[in-house]
This record gives sequence, C-alpha cells and structure tokens, in this order.
Amino acid sequence: MLSAALGLVILLPVTGAVLAATSSRWDARGVAVRAAFLCALLAVWVSWVAYPDGARFTMGALPWLGAEAAANSFGLLLDPLATVLLLVGTVIGFLTTLYSTGYLGEANKEHSVGARDQGRYYFWLLLFLASMAGVATAPNFLQLFFFWEATTVCSWALISFYRSKASLRAGFKAILMTHAGGLFFLLALLIMFAKTGSFAFDAPARLDGTLRGWVYGFLMIAAWAKAAQVPLHTWLPDAMEAPTPISAYLHAAALVKAGVFLMARAVSGTWAVPAPVGIILAVMALVTMLVALSFYFVQDDLKRLLAYSTIAHLGYVLLGVAIGALGVPLGLQGGVLHILCHAFGKALLFLCVGAVAWVTGSRSISALRGVARIMPITAAAYFIGVLAVTGVPPFACFWSKFMILAGAMRLPNPWGPVIVVTVLVESLVAFGWMLRVGQKVFLGPWVETGGPPPRLPMAMKVALYALMLGSLFAPAVGIPLVHRIAP
Amino acid sequence: MTTYLCLAGAAACFVLGTLAALATFRHARLSGWISVVAVGAAAVLMLIAAVRSFAGAGDAAVSVLPIVALGAALTVHVDALSALFLCITAPIAFLTTMYSVEYMRRYTRDRMAKYYPVLLILFLAIGGTVVTTDLFWFLVFWELMTLTSFFLVIFERENRAAHRAGWTYFLWNQGAALGLVGAALILWRRSGSFSFDACRVALDGLLQTNAVLAHLVLVLFVFGFATKSGILPMGSWLPDAYPAAPSSATAAFGGTMTKLGIYGLLRVFLHLVPLGNATVVWGVIIACFGLVSLFIGTLTALKQDDAKRLMSFHVIGQVGYMFFGIGAGLALLQVDPLLGTLGLVAGLFHMVNHSLYKSCLFLGAGAIEYRTGVRSLTDMPGGLGRVMAATMASSLLASLAIAGVPPLNGFTSKWLMYATGILGARQSFLLPVAALIAMFVSLMTLASFLKYLGGAFLGATDEPPCVREVPLTMLAPQVLLAAACLAVGLGPMLPLRFVHQAIVQLPSAAQLPAFETLFGSGQTLALASGGIVMASWAPLPLTVLLLVLAAGAYYGLQTAGGATSRRVQVWACGEEENPAWMRYRADSLYRPFKDAIHVTMPRMHLPRVPIPGFLARVVDVDRWLYRPLARGATEAARGVSRAHVGIPQVYLLWIIVGAIALITLLQLLPGGGP
Repeated sequence: MLSAALGLVILLPVTGAVLAATSSRWDARGVAVRAAFLCALLAVWVSWVAYPDGARFTMGALPWLGAEAAANSFGLLLDPLATVLLLVGTVIGFLTTLYSTGYLGEANKEHSVGARDQGRYYFWLLLFLASMAGVATAPNFLQLFFFWEATTVCSWALISFYRSKASLRAGFKAILMTHAGGLFFLLALLIMFAKTGSFAFDAPARLDGTLRGWVYGFLMIAAWAKAAQVPLHTWLPDAMEAPTPISAYLHAAALVKAGVFLMARAVSGTWAVPAPVGIILAVMALVTMLVALSFYFVQDDLKRLLAYSTIAHLGYVLLGVAIGALGVPLGLQGGVLHILCHAFGKALLFLCVGAVAWVTGSRSISALRGVARIMPITAAAYFIGVLAVTGVPPFACFWSKFMILAGAMRLPNPWGPVIVVTVLVESLVAFGWMLRVGQKVFLGPWVETGGPPPRLPMAMKVALYALMLGSLFAPAVGIPLVHRIAP
Repeated sequence: MTTYLCLAGAAACFVLGTLAALATFRHARLSGWISVVAVGAAAVLMLIAAVRSFAGAGDAAVSVLPIVALGAALTVHVDALSALFLCITAPIAFLTTMYSVEYMRRYTRDRMAKYYPVLLILFLAIGGTVVTTDLFWFLVFWELMTLTSFFLVIFERENRAAHRAGWTYFLWNQGAALGLVGAALILWRRSGSFSFDACRVALDGLLQTNAVLAHLVLVLFVFGFATKSGILPMGSWLPDAYPAAPSSATAAFGGTMTKLGIYGLLRVFLHLVPLGNATVVWGVIIACFGLVSLFIGTLTALKQDDAKRLMSFHVIGQVGYMFFGIGAGLALLQVDPLLGTLGLVAGLFHMVNHSLYKSCLFLGAGAIEYRTGVRSLTDMPGGLGRVMAATMASSLLASLAIAGVPPLNGFTSKWLMYATGILGARQSFLLPVAALIAMFVSLMTLASFLKYLGGAFLGATDEPPCVREVPLTMLAPQVLLAAACLAVGLGPMLPLRFVHQAIVQLPSAAQLPAFETLFGSGQTLALASGGIVMASWAPLPLTVLLLVLAAGAYYGLQTAGGATSRRVQVWACGEEENPAWMRYRADSLYRPFKDAIHVTMPRMHLPRVPIPGFLARVVDVDRWLYRPLARGATEAARGVSRAHVGIPQVYLLWIIVGAIALITLLQLLPGGGP
C-alpha cells in the first residue's frame, strides 16, 4: 500500500505531464493542477504514515550490477531526509502549478502567454516534479543520478520557455554548467562502483582515506554546480529569464536543493567524510555567502536579487552539511531544516515578485513604488518572506539558522566563532538590504497609471497564503524530521 | 499549574483576538472592540498570574515545546520580577487598545489588518518575553516584539520618514538581537541548555576560566538591552521611530516595550551573573551610560517642536535615570548592600512610574493630534485647555510626574535615586555629583514639559474653538493613568514593596536587606541605615500641608491684599491685534539655549562602504573565466570545422596523418615499441 502510494507520487505527475501535453490548449491547466495536487496529497500522507521509522521498497535490479544487487537495486526510500525533500518538491510543486494557472495567461503584463504554450509548460513542470520526487526517494546513488540529470533537462527546457534569445542562452548556460557538475557525480559513481561494487549511500565508507576524499570531493563539485555555489554560481542569476513560478520552484525551492541534498545524503550516509573535504565545503560555503551578498547591492531586478539571496542560502545549507561532515550532526540537521524553511520563504518571495510583475509589468527596484496600495496581500507576503528568509523569529529560517549556528559553536576553535560571526554579519546585512528593497517597492505613494490595476487571480492568492503559512509553520514539521537524521 | 494555565489562556486570548481582528479588519470599530475584549481578558489572566506570584503562590516552572536537539524548551515561570512586568503590561495594553478604537478612525485610508493583529501579537511577545526562563525562547519573543513594533512604526504607508525610521529601528534592533543570539550561543556551548539557571552556571564558569569571553557575553547583552531601551548612543533610532507610529502604539511602546531592556538588564545581572567583580564593573558602565543618556536625551528634548518627538527624547532621558539607578545599585551591591538595594529599587520603581506617565503623555499628544491633526507645538492652535479640560488635566499631572514634582509618583522614585547618590558619598564622591546632574536634568524635564503644556493647552486660540474633548474611550485611559500616577505618588509603599520583592527574589540579590529594614513598615517612606532613619518622605501629610498652604496663599493674597483684577487685551503698542498673535509660542521658548547650542545629540549614520573595483572583478567569474572559456571553445570548434572542406582527398590525408600520429603515440607509451 505504502510502496504503491510512494510509487504513485512519482508516476502521477509523469502521467499528468503526458496528459497535459496532449490535452487541448487551456485544459492543460486543470489536468496539471489536479495531478500536482494528488501528488502532493499522497506525498504528505505517505510522509505521515512512514514517520518516524521511514520505509524502503525494492523494485528490481539490473543483473550487470554485480554482487551487491541488494544495495544497487532500484526502489524507493523514504527516510527523514528524503521526506524533507519530498515535501518540498511536491507541496511547493503543487503550489507553483496552482500559481502558474493564474500567472501564465494573456492577462500577464510582463509576459503574455497564449493557449498554445500551456501544454508545453505543464509537461515540463510536472516532469520536473516527478524527477524531484525521484531524487528525494532514490535509495542509492545510481538512481539518484538518473533523476538528478532528469531535473537538469527539465530545468533547461523551462528556463528557455519563452524562447527569447536571452532565455535560450540562459537555458544553455544552465544545462552546460549543471551537467558539467553532473559529470563529476558520474566520476564519483564510477570510482565507487569500481572499488566497492556498490552504489549504496554508505559505500564511500568502504573506500580508503584518499579515495574517499576524492569521491566526496567530486560529489561536492557536482553539488556546487547544481546548487549554484561559487565558483559555479553564475548560471543561476541568468536563469531568472525563466517564468517566475519556475524561478520560484526550480531555482529557489527544489532543483538547486537537489544539489545540497546530494551532499546531505552523502554525508549522512557514512558520517565519515575526510576532514579536508568538510573544511573546503565550509570555507566555500562562507565564501559563497559573502560573494552572493556583495552582489545584492548592485541589482535592480528583483528576481536577480532573490537569485543571489538563494545562492547565499544554499551556502547556508552546505555550511550546515559541512559542520555535519566535521563531526557535529546538529549542523547537518540545521542544514537540512534550512532546505525546507528556505524553500517556503524564498518561493514566497519569488511568487510575490511574480505577482507584482503580473500586475505592473515591471520587476525593477528603481521603478516600482507604493505597490502595497494596490496589492496589500502581496506586500504582506513579501515582508513575511523577507523575515522568513533572513531568519527573524518566529519565522522559518530562524530555526534552521540557529541550529546551524549552534552546530558551528560545537566545532573546535577557531572554526566555530568564525562561522558564527560571518553568518551573523551576513544575516544582518542581507536583512537590512532586503527590507530596504521591500520598503522601496511596496511602501510610499502609489502613482496612478490610468485605469484600475487588474485584480490578482484567486489561484495566485491562494498560493501566496499557503506559502505564508508555510513560512511560519515549516519548522514545526521539519524539526521532528531532521532530529532523526543522526549517526 | 494555575499560573501556567492563566498564561496559556492569556496567550490563547491574544492569538484568537489576532485572528478575529484579522477576519474583521474591514470593519475598523468591530475589529477594535474585538481586540479590546481579547486584550482585556488576557490582561485579567496576566494579572491573576502576577498576583499569585506576589502572594507567594507562584507555581513551579512548566516546560512545553521542547527542542531536544538544542536543549531548549518554552519554560514558563513567573517570579516577582516577571510579575511586576506583567502588572505593567496588562493594564497599559488594555488601555492603549481601548484608546485605539476611536483614535484609529483618523486613518480612513489604511486597513486595520495591519494594526490590531500586530498590536495584539506585540503584547503577546512582551508577555512571553517576561515569563519565559529559557534564553532561546526569550530571544524568540524578543525578536517577535521587534518585528511587530516595526510594522506599527511603518503603519503610515505613504510617509517616507516613517519608513526610514522603521528601517533604522529594525536594523539597530536586529543587530542587537543577533548580538544576543551570539551571547546565548556562547553560554549554550558551555552549558548545553538555554535555561537561565544553566546559563548562570555557565557564565560563572566562564568568568573564572575565560574572563574575556565572559565579558564579551556581557557586552553583547548590555548592547542588546540598551539598544532596545533607547540608551545613547545605541538608541539614536528612538526619537524617529516612536513618533512615526500611531500614538496609541507609541504609548504601548513607551509604556511597555522600552522597559523590557530594563527587564533584560536585571535578569542578566541579578540572575545570570553571580555577584562578583563583573557586577561592579558593569554597574559602573551601566550607570555612566544612564547618566549620559539622561543628560543628552533631556537636553535634546528641550529643543523639540514635535510633541511626540519631545516625549520620545524624554523616553531616552527617563530610561537613562533607570540605567543610572540600576547601574549604581549594581556597583554598590557588594560594598554597601543597603545603598545597592536602594539604587536597584529606585531604578526599577522609576520604570514602573515611567510606564504610567509616559503612556499618559503619549495618549494626550495623540488626543490633540486626533482633534487638531497637529503635532507641532508651534502650529498648535493653543488654548486647548478650555475645550479639552480633562485631557489637559491628565497631561498636566503626567507632566508634573515626569518632572518629579511632589507628591506624584515620579518624585518618589527620583527621590530614592537622589538619596542613593547623596548617601553614596560614603563610597565615592562621584555619586553625589551624578545625583546633582540628575536633579538638574529634572528641572530641564519640567522646562520642556512647560513648553508642551503651554504650547498646547494655554494661551489664546488662533481659531474659534471648534475642537471638542476626545470621546470617552480615549479619555478614560488618560484619566486612569493620570490617577494612577497620583495614587502611586500618594501611596508608594505598596508598589515599592512589590518592586523590592521583584529584586530580592533574583538569585544574585537574595542576601539584600529586607523591605522593613530599608524603608520602614508604616505609610511613611523612612529611609533607614543601621536602624537610624536618614531621610523620610510622607506623601499624604505633606500633600495636605502643601494644599492648605497653597490655598491659604492664594486666598490670602487675593482677599487680604485687596488687589483688583481686570481683563483687557494685550497691549500691542496701541494697535488692535488678534490676542492669539500675541501668544508666546512654543518655538520662542528657550531660544537663547537653542541659539547657543546647536548640536546636543550627534547622529550616527551607517557608513557607505564602496566595493573595491578589483573585488568586483574578481567575484565576476563569468567575466574572467567562463566567457573566455566559452569563447575559446567556440574558436577551437571553428578551427576544427575548417578541416571539413568536403574534398575526399583531404579527408584521406587526415586519415593517414591520424594513423601516423596514433602509431607514434602507441610507440611512445610505456610498454609500446618493438
């Protein structure tokens, strides 16, 4: 029963994708929303039922995978770590699909989308949802790799959705850079299989020290590329050419989280990461945070600002994972919790920006003024998003950041204090800037531009409400889950 | 358990009230009344919890919502200090909410969804901050308080100055709060728990093994609490932020939120820090900060023209008094427990008094704004006293109270503070000097409030008085608060007893002298040292005496002197003028002072940090790595593509060249060759 339901979580969106692609014009929306809703509902139910012990199902193996058939066989795994990503992928996936039904239409002032393109959009979106569920529930590195590459392909198609020159370039850049990272993943897989004959998450433990270091190093590069970490971060700001719901879902909540998820998976699979790898991971995470922060101040496009913020926050997750790799599981728990918390907060922010652009046709920080007058709910959502993402209690990211910081405090000197001070400074500056941008865009007098502004479709509003609640209550779901990720 | 249930009930009232107010936001008055009911119910429950604690029936701590990984749990315990703060928060929350119902009708274009729900959460956060004994949850509530008050500061959406003020406010306080997070983490690293008692042990250990780190923790704590309280220079945000909020919210800020800095200070230095050298050092530092703030804050208030801004500067000044009292108390606690207790009691009692009169004053300024739409003392029509008599009477009482005029409540606490300073001469000659400064500043306070009272209520009006007294729901809170100022002034012994209890229940103050030894047991405040009464203050008899003397003097002069009084127009060199033009306006007051001293409070601005050009180039990886790489790849591909010329002979040549190259390579490889 449970295995069937878990299987359906992946199969439903695939079916939905095919149906959406083949259904006529606007009908694709209804099909997609239903499929995504059922998928999210099933995922929540499965997570509920499987908590706290988790579940593991084997579904068949390939004969050439050798002696370790049990570890290498395909199947589904739902442990606490998988549950976190599954919930992020499916719930936010559903909300994005719902939002898209309002966003992607002819009334959109920024990018009017006609009936002809609906099927294509929902096909890729649902396929991505399925791939994400696949990444989350993969029981070994091999299956994880398959779904990982599937997400890359979907991301490419969705970034290039508008088919403008810029979006085609951005899509190409994204697939090039993330796939280059994927090759390192493949390399790590090959080493692992050649030396241990296994793709299991704990297989790296069986490698000797140096080789294990290389495997983790390669996985780390793959994660950097996928999660847009310095120096492989430049594809993400360009990927903002994608439709805004896609930016919210793929480039804030889910796809980029697959990268950090891989690292969390690899670290929590063995809890035996060579120290140099952990140190490099931590240092690069800190560097990423600061580099991303330095880009905040020169952005005029709201979405690009959020993209840099995303890069910084993926740095937070990797920092947590690195702390876990250095021997403090609390840090990794915080990092994984940050996957969940940041997903809700950042998706909310992106969808707010989408709503503003939908109504006003602009995403420019310098051009927008007093938007709260015509869009009070969106304004409230933006401020909640900022508070959630920058970690002001009681909103989501405070809890995860605090856990990461507490984990860092357990590290020996001078790592702990350095990490804590850097993170606190980044938090404060980022908070100040995001708040300032919010005030600039939403507050102040609204300049009438002739005629009443269009009303936001209900679907978009509902998605905003749901994400606002998520930004507050996500830790309540996440903390019991991440608490169980321990050696 | 009863205490816990009361507090849980109060929290539920706040949450349900918030949701109900949110649901009915389109109907401003309904939303307001729902909030009044919710806050009223919560206030009653909070007061029950407080009274139980004072009566010694307080319950053991109850822990809920544990976060095992962090060793944190929402532990609720009401000791006397928490109870004292609940006693202040509950009535002021209720009165300011009641005041809001009519007051908020000024804002016809703004939705109440961003007022009542936020205000209720603010009160919830304040309550939560004072009842939890877990540092983690303390921080959560602390920041919740900051963020809700931020939304109240930026309530006027189209007011740019309000946004700027709100932003500065939030940034300062967020910075301070992150400092508190750092301090909490340092303690947690040692103790593995966030409970106050565990933190006390950790800090004790840290003071002995790593004093630098321990003092860093204390720096962060003091910075955090001083910022919230508005102590200079960290509190420079306050005079901009407080006036920006609606007056009802400002009254709540001034009456309750600012005071939590004092709460934090006492909690840290009398609960987390064991008595020792650190207490003395930090006592002196806190007292110095207090002295600077009370001087500069009040001096700057003298120059203000905006009524609410003037009062906001007095918040800084008055909090300075509290810091001074508490700091002096902490410094003297070990060498002279009697004086130490006196200073602490004076500081904390001043906090209670300040809550009462400052809320009343802000509500008074709000009442004037409500009727005239003006906050500038110069632009006020003047003569409002004739039409808003009750508001004037309340504001007058509160003004006299803040200036420390007997027999009002402000006098009692200031008197205790002066006593600490003067008697402190036996420890240090600096203390009487500080007390003299504080006395002088009291005079300045009186002067600046004379300006306020004169500008708003006295003199002739510019316009025919179409202004009326404010509605009852706005008047009642002011009158009640003013009455409370008078009542506490006339009968200070009972509140003092609570204040004393709040201090001596804290772990580091357990050995301090009993109330009776210090203040006597009767209704007269008899300050005793070693059984000898050194000073006393009997409010009731002296007030009666003063009243009789005043009445006697008035009637004696009027009747016995036989002077006749006549009402004529002000002489304007023979020209007939509107009497209002001859009014002595607020901006004319203290002109020589303003001309002589331009800058009383230096403003702090965030420095603009330019990003160095080379750094910008270094972080732009696309520019120096990926784009050249991509260009190189494209060029290489183009070069290779030139080989495809479409002529079979050329392809054949390539095959031969390739074969030769391959064979050569194989020859060169290890193990290759003949």
